[in-house]
Amino acid sequence: MDATFDPDLIHAIFKMVWSRRAERNEEIDVVDIEVGAGTSKKSRPTTANPSALRVSCELLRLFVTEAIERTAIIAEAEGINKIEPTHLERILPQLLLDF
Amino acid sequence: MDAGGVGGAGDGCFEKMETEEERTELLRDRFRLSVISIADAEAKKLGMQVAEPVVACIADLAFKFTEQLAKDVELFAYHAGRKSVNVKDVILSAHRNDHLTSLLRSFSRELRDKEPKTERKRKKSFEKGETSAPS
Repeated sequence: MDATFDPDLIHAIFKMVWSRRAERNEEIDVVDIEVGAGTSKKSRPTTANPSALRVSCELLRLFVTEAIERTAIIAEAEGINKIEPTHLERILPQLLLDF
Repeated sequence: MDAGGVGGAGDGCFEKMETEEERTELLRDRFRLSVISIADAEAKKLGMQVAEPVVACIADLAFKFTEQLAKDVELFAYHAGRKSVNVKDVILSAHRNDHLTSLLRSFSRELRDKEPKTERKRKKSFEKGETSAPS
């Protein structure tokens, strides 16, 4: 089995982002007059199911492996067997567009 | 310590922020360790070495990507009227890239197939509607 991310770690990062966002939204809602179903939804924290976390881990794993694979191609083309920052620079724009 | 609402000024909030920063750094460090092991494994497979700054950079980018992913899937779930993010939300986040989408779809299918038999039987008959079981 390939090395991959720990779903619990990814879940922790997600929760951190979600609580940051919830705090910001709370500030906004105090001023907002349009209170209704929307507000009550936001006040409950977002969760993720285990499969979603596993697929997220896979998505992130693909990001890392794709980055390595693409930089390796560039390095190999130069006849070098060590991936350097200049190789990363070359593939970065397309990588970010593809993800 | 009567710190008012969230984000209000005061000692309580400042302490909370510091702990949150520490927590973020801790998560970032753990994340970087995972990236290092995945990147090293992949490089080894390709018979290549990776310079440390490269892995560090990929780790930072991947962390930002994760944060963005969190925002995206939360929005998609909310848009669908849900509080809980599911697999479809994650796959949707890759919608700009067809190849990536299909990779994630097959991965999620494999995950489902590995589930315990009772779960699988229910889903299988629900989705495929095939007259498999001879009565």
